[in-house]
Amino acid sequence: MTATKDYLFNVWNSLTTTLVGMKITGKYLLQKPITVQYPDERLPIPDRYRGIHYLEQEKCIDCLACARACPIDCIEMDAVRHGKELEWISFTLDYQKCMFCELCVYPCPKDCIHMGTEFAFVSFDRSEFKHDLLSFKGMAKEARIRMKGAEERKKAREAAKAAGLPFEEEPEAEPEEHG
Amino acid sequence: MNVPMSAVERSNVFYDLLAKFAPAGVPTWVLALTAAGVGVGILITFVSVLAMFSVWMERKVSGHIQCRYGPMYVGGWHGWAQSLADGIKLLSKEDLIPLGADRPLFMLAPAIVLASIFGALTAMPLTPSVYFADIDLGLFFILAMSSMTTIGVVMAGWASASKWSLYGAMREAAQVVAYEIPLGLALLVPLLVVGTLNLREASELQSGWYGMHWLVFQNPFVFPALLLFFTAALAETKRAPFDLPEAESELVAGFMTEYSGIRWSFFFMEEYAAMFLMSVVAAIFFLGGFESPVTHLAREQFGADSPIYQATAGFVLLLKAMFGIFLMMWLRWTLPRVRIDQVMTMGYKYLTPLALVCVLGAGVWEAIF
Amino acid sequence: MSSESRGSIHLDEAPRTLASGEREFMLDVHTQDLEVNMGPQHPATHGVMRILIRTDGELVTGAQPHLGYLHRCAEKIGENVEWLQYLPYTDRYDYLSAMNNNLGYSMAVEALMPGLEIPRRAQMLRTICVELNRIGSHLVAMGTYGLDIGAFTPFFYAFREREWMMALFEKICGARLTYSYIRIGGVFNDSPPGWLQEVERFCDVFEEKWQEYYDLLVVNQIFVQRTANVGVISKAMALDFGLTGPMLRGSGVDFDLRRDMPYMLYGEMTKQKVFDVIVARGEMGTLGDCWDRLYVRVVEMMESIKQVRWCLDNIKPGPVLGDIPKVLRIPIGEAYVGIENPRGELGHYVVSDGGKIAVRCRVRGPSFVNVAVLEELLPGTLLADAVAIVGSTDVVIGETDR
Repeated sequence: MTATKDYLFNVWNSLTTTLVGMKITGKYLLQKPITVQYPDERLPIPDRYRGIHYLEQEKCIDCLACARACPIDCIEMDAVRHGKELEWISFTLDYQKCMFCELCVYPCPKDCIHMGTEFAFVSFDRSEFKHDLLSFKGMAKEARIRMKGAEERKKAREAAKAAGLPFEEEPEAEPEEHG
Repeated sequence: MNVPMSAVERSNVFYDLLAKFAPAGVPTWVLALTAAGVGVGILITFVSVLAMFSVWMERKVSGHIQCRYGPMYVGGWHGWAQSLADGIKLLSKEDLIPLGADRPLFMLAPAIVLASIFGALTAMPLTPSVYFADIDLGLFFILAMSSMTTIGVVMAGWASASKWSLYGAMREAAQVVAYEIPLGLALLVPLLVVGTLNLREASELQSGWYGMHWLVFQNPFVFPALLLFFTAALAETKRAPFDLPEAESELVAGFMTEYSGIRWSFFFMEEYAAMFLMSVVAAIFFLGGFESPVTHLAREQFGADSPIYQATAGFVLLLKAMFGIFLMMWLRWTLPRVRIDQVMTMGYKYLTPLALVCVLGAGVWEAIF
Repeated sequence: MSSESRGSIHLDEAPRTLASGEREFMLDVHTQDLEVNMGPQHPATHGVMRILIRTDGELVTGAQPHLGYLHRCAEKIGENVEWLQYLPYTDRYDYLSAMNNNLGYSMAVEALMPGLEIPRRAQMLRTICVELNRIGSHLVAMGTYGLDIGAFTPFFYAFREREWMMALFEKICGARLTYSYIRIGGVFNDSPPGWLQEVERFCDVFEEKWQEYYDLLVVNQIFVQRTANVGVISKAMALDFGLTGPMLRGSGVDFDLRRDMPYMLYGEMTKQKVFDVIVARGEMGTLGDCWDRLYVRVVEMMESIKQVRWCLDNIKPGPVLGDIPKVLRIPIGEAYVGIENPRGELGHYVVSDGGKIAVRCRVRGPSFVNVAVLEELLPGTLLADAVAIVGSTDVVIGETDR
């Protein structure tokens, strides 16, 4: 008797669970899909998104903290110091290696390296994945002016010293805030 | 029935048209062959368009069930040309034949699969008076021809020289053998009621009750038989939950693993053509065929010979068949796949006895009432 | 087929004798077992695991999982980079539950730092993230298991909710898969404004959707028939193989590290009876079958929701990072900390010589241990069952190979 009961139960159960499933799928068939048509409409990207880096070059002091923090050494920076000023040669980030862990952002003392919201990075050539984050090469205009001023002051001081006159130190101009 | 037995005289619309406009002195066999050629051309076009539409529909239905859109770009409106683009892509693909494959069999298999389903479709009437072949044993012919696809599938599986393909082919063979029985038995039930194997006549006989004298309403055992037929038809057409021959997660792609390009698309077309065929059979032998209140109205208003009535009837049948295909898709995207031994259990232990009960009940009912 | 070929399974080659009921002419029928490579490129192996199976028709007569296709020397890397720098690598072994990996490693290192106190808000945030990640991981387990069985649609429904979960993580840490959010001494960022409310909304919606998965997949008759009584792991076998997590609880062993060896806030939660440990009871078939394992995972999602809700109720403003120096130098010592990953016990064993770099960094991955049971389980099943069993172990190949 149990066998007959099981037999009929199986038939009944197959039918009902199938119908329950069809009810659920049918409900979604009539609803509006939740996906978005990607290139036309895009989902909002949150502020904290870890995308391709950008650098506030004026703030950067070439301290190498980010390069040291990087687990895979994908950051390479090269700059020449002229006294207090920096002449930038390169600040490259190798996106073939980078795993977007954001560990380079936290140790920065000047808070100048950030991760942006751009994520698409397509190229036909591998060499293009080595990205230079610098917005300009060489020295910043302000830095050039500051350096010129410092040199002139130095000359003036030496001239004053040679003439035996006392020299008044001008207060150094604060660098302009950027960003 | 009083029908002329000569094959040439058993005319159809194409033959009649040709005979009307052909110059005198053209032998009848030329006319018959030309008519057959025209018919085959129309059929191939019909099946191709149908398969393309069904693929597009399947993608849209599955997409919307899964909370996504499906194709949206090709062709503009909801990606209607996606299947067309896919077809062109498949045509232009390289014709790959594996090194270890049995070349002649490998090339023959998709042809056999497609030819048998074309053959089965010839027995299908397009409208009450437009048909390719008016066969008295129409249903019998359809079942026989559609079973022949199995030969092609087994051939494909064996010739591919791939282990996964072989599994798929063996599964297909076992499954089709198991499900021929409940399929035939379930169809016996409406046959007991309607009393003809001819598809056109079976539809005509359901024209009472303002076009609602469908076989499901004539006998209480026809509806369960419809469910059984539907289940068996799913297995016959290798549709989920019985898609074991091409079970993706188990056999990669089953018997089609080594196929690509246009040969692969033949199998695909066969699947959708078979779905359509089974839906048409279900529509004619269970759900009234051409008949509906709309058809009835058209016949009353314009007469049985008018093109409007013919078009309406054909459209109604197409609609019913499309609904059947839609149900198959809905089921496919709802249910998991059954296991091979469960397929057998279901065929032999559940469907066959239940179909027998239906046949018995329907017979008794017909004898009493 | 040559049994000498590399990597083949060696079955005993003894001549076939007449079994009872077999006629002599049957010996003339030579059937050959078929050796099939399931993987590394196969839809059912969830990555690049290769299982060499030997089949007699549909029947699997031998199976041998081959690992190592995704080996990336994670443990050795841990001995070559600084303590904090190893954190992104932990994301990458079990990529479906990166938060849990972060937590396991961080806790192992924190165990070596006496006197370090993790702020309570950081612990709350950690718990929320870990439990949300557990939900996401179980959603993938359930969805891909549906794919293995042949049901496509639950997979998309599961990914729909997982998408929201990933969007939540994206808001708090900026990444969708490899979070690197939980760090040694706390978490990197405090939650952005409105985030906790959104988590609450997620919990509300998820509870509704969960019922749909349950009705659509878990209790579907075909699904039950496919998974019940298949791949039965007995209690003793589960303990012998050292299975953990849902695999162990699916065999009826009532063991959960969160309750039995409580860490973080779980001890408090256990005292307040916030969550239950889900143990399978063999409802649909034998205890320890594939259905039981999936059932444990699916119901566990709801327990995670309870834990998240408890955290949301009790979270208070405060710091999220303990007193951690910029350059980490961990005191001399060794520590092993095991936490309850979605797949089982994820243990980290770290040894420090007082420097900036670990001397030894060893990982005990749950998937690696759980996958060992396959060799025992697969022979004697049907080919389709083999797929079901492999799916029910819920392996993440990134972790078995590390």
